[in-house]
Amino acid sequence: MHLKQLARDGLLKPLQAVSGIVERRHTLPILSNVLVEQSGGRLSVTATDLEIQITAQSDVAVPEGEPTAVTLPARKLQDLLRALPDDSLLSVDAQASKVVLKAGKSRFNLQSMPAADYPRITASQDMQQTVQVPQRQLRALFSLVAFAMAQQDIRYYLNGLLLVIDKNSMVAVATDGHRLSYASLALEGDYTHQEVILPRKTVLELSKLLAEDDAPATIDILVNQIRFRFGNIELVSKVIDGKFPDYNRVIPSGYTRHITLDRQLILHTMQRAAILSNEKFRGVRLVLTTGSLKIICANSDQEEAEEELEVPYEGDALDVGFNINYLLDVLMNLGSPEIVLSFGDAAASALITMPERSDYKYVVMPMRI
Amino acid sequence: MTTQRLIAHVDMDAFYASVELLRYPELRGMPVVIGGGSRHQPVVVTDPVTGEPTRRFSTLRGYAGRGVITTATYEARALGLHSAMGMMKAAQLAPDAVLLPVDFEQYRKYSRLFKAAVRAIAPLVEDRGIDEIYADLTDVVGPVAEPWARARDVAAEIKRAVRAATGLNCSIGVSPNKLLSKIASDLDKPDGLTILTPEDIPARIWPLSPRKINGIGPKATAKLTGLGIATIGTLAQAEPHYLVAQFGKSYGAWLHEAAHGRDERAVVTWSEPKSISRETTFERDLHPVRDRQALSRIFTDLCLGLTDDLRRKGYAGKTIGLKLRYDDFRTVTRDRTLDAPTQDMRVIRRAAGECLKSVNLDRKIRLLGVRASSLEAAGEAQLEPNLRLFD
Repeated sequence: MHLKQLARDGLLKPLQAVSGIVERRHTLPILSNVLVEQSGGRLSVTATDLEIQITAQSDVAVPEGEPTAVTLPARKLQDLLRALPDDSLLSVDAQASKVVLKAGKSRFNLQSMPAADYPRITASQDMQQTVQVPQRQLRALFSLVAFAMAQQDIRYYLNGLLLVIDKNSMVAVATDGHRLSYASLALEGDYTHQEVILPRKTVLELSKLLAEDDAPATIDILVNQIRFRFGNIELVSKVIDGKFPDYNRVIPSGYTRHITLDRQLILHTMQRAAILSNEKFRGVRLVLTTGSLKIICANSDQEEAEEELEVPYEGDALDVGFNINYLLDVLMNLGSPEIVLSFGDAAASALITMPERSDYKYVVMPMRI
Repeated sequence: MTTQRLIAHVDMDAFYASVELLRYPELRGMPVVIGGGSRHQPVVVTDPVTGEPTRRFSTLRGYAGRGVITTATYEARALGLHSAMGMMKAAQLAPDAVLLPVDFEQYRKYSRLFKAAVRAIAPLVEDRGIDEIYADLTDVVGPVAEPWARARDVAAEIKRAVRAATGLNCSIGVSPNKLLSKIASDLDKPDGLTILTPEDIPARIWPLSPRKINGIGPKATAKLTGLGIATIGTLAQAEPHYLVAQFGKSYGAWLHEAAHGRDERAVVTWSEPKSISRETTFERDLHPVRDRQALSRIFTDLCLGLTDDLRRKGYAGKTIGLKLRYDDFRTVTRDRTLDAPTQDMRVIRRAAGECLKSVNLDRKIRLLGVRASSLEAAGEAQLEPNLRLFD
């Protein structure tokens, strides 16, 4: 590969789009490299951790010619490019196992590894279904549920997000076994029912990469894989092979105790109370009586926070405990000005929704305090 | 004189298969076997001409793997298929038989329903697994002049109640004890109702093979055949001391009693399990190194399943065990005893993992199992403060 007069961002932008999945320490040394390819007048950068593979095209044109490829150490290359002036023009010169990168009077000699050895994930050719969604909507869908995913749970199928495509809707569900977040999105068209579990890392990466605009994201559901294409990016990921729990069974219906609250108000109230909650168990007591909601936290040093909110509630009194982190999570991630808190009895889950919207549900189990 | 006991054995007919037929009524009358995995889940296809959605089912044709049939419908049994038969063999006998995946959650649901229906009529019942129970009808029948006729009515009522609650048929045997009732329920299957009084024993029980007695397995049967004892009747005529000489003191004496249809065991409404376990035989033998990922996944699933079972049944186990069978059928087991009983899947996975580290992993493995024993009822101590969504 011999490139001249390449604008810095022509390489840095696609590199930054893919470098998030490059593992710092990996048993396969080549995985700390990215694959830079030149083909048909386009430059692209690919990274993989063997579970996910992201390819980003550069929007800067390069000379057409024989396709060529080199691998370069991802972190070092990114650090170098970022440290160069914004308007730098680069030259890239690959020689045997070395790549020489020049910008003005700067010259960097980087170790390379053979591009032919780069372990690419081959996307399955058996396409099962393709769905198109505006990027903004997909991003919003993920942000409503991603925070509820489990992390390093031995129930591996919870370390991800369930995506259900059915007729004219797309549903995303995540749970760690104690709380569950559900969001749905209307689709145009009529699709066959399909369920896949996206790995946690894939979801987090997509949340970063999807743009806040209405340009489409194309989702291809393949055999044991899923592919997302949007803007200059293509992401192929394995899906988790496992049985996601039956979420419909745990989403309550028919609750009669509802209170509508200003989201910022309840969030700030809880954030204050949380300071004095038990560090290990993170318990909070919610005491609901006619016209009042008390929020009480106490820690092991006998310190206590008590907050009271006036609420339009008439009904049986209720005294129930929760993990306050589970409540803070949802309050921080919902965009609506108000939320609706619904209760069953003290041993039942609480349901959090947005007023007048049936497309979002958050279920959280109580805690013994 | 003590009152004549009246014990019923209620046995669901082709239970798993019948539950599946409720879900897929279009399969009624066809040979169907249960035993597949999720890849055998029926798929809904839309007819390109009529636009009607129809279900497409997997069949045994081309089945490759080591799964065994858990249940076969009576139509499948007519083709020579039976439970515990390897499915590759079954595929040769009946390639067009429909194959359905096992859905234990569904079977457990129907199991609860049928047991509740029996209990509503005869409260004294002994659980014998997912698809059968014993019920003591003695008090239900009461001191009447014709206890056997009344017992038949009660049994018929149980059959109706089970059918109303589940839509499924069962076969019932009523006799003076569990041993005979178990044989009796099988005499007129499916949808049978057999009353067996002590007077019926010579005519109805003695012509049967000793194998029909619950407790006489294939080995004992073979030995009896070798001794020229091919029926329960011949067994009944054998001298007790001869049987003791051949089979040992306790089993020999029991054989004599059993052949005469004598069994004093009570209907035990509740008993503590000694251990809870999960195991699986792989589709193909797995290599500890080359198939490490697959093994690790299966191992984790077993621990998860075991944790689920413990939680559902309300137990915590103090001893966690591992069972491993190599490709040459050698089986090894290892145990780890914990400081405190647990139903925490992480603790179980870790303990089972330590057991796995202590066995030789130098050849392929065909079966892996995990087990919790030294069980205690789970108390507050084992409970997490935060309640779970999916228990």
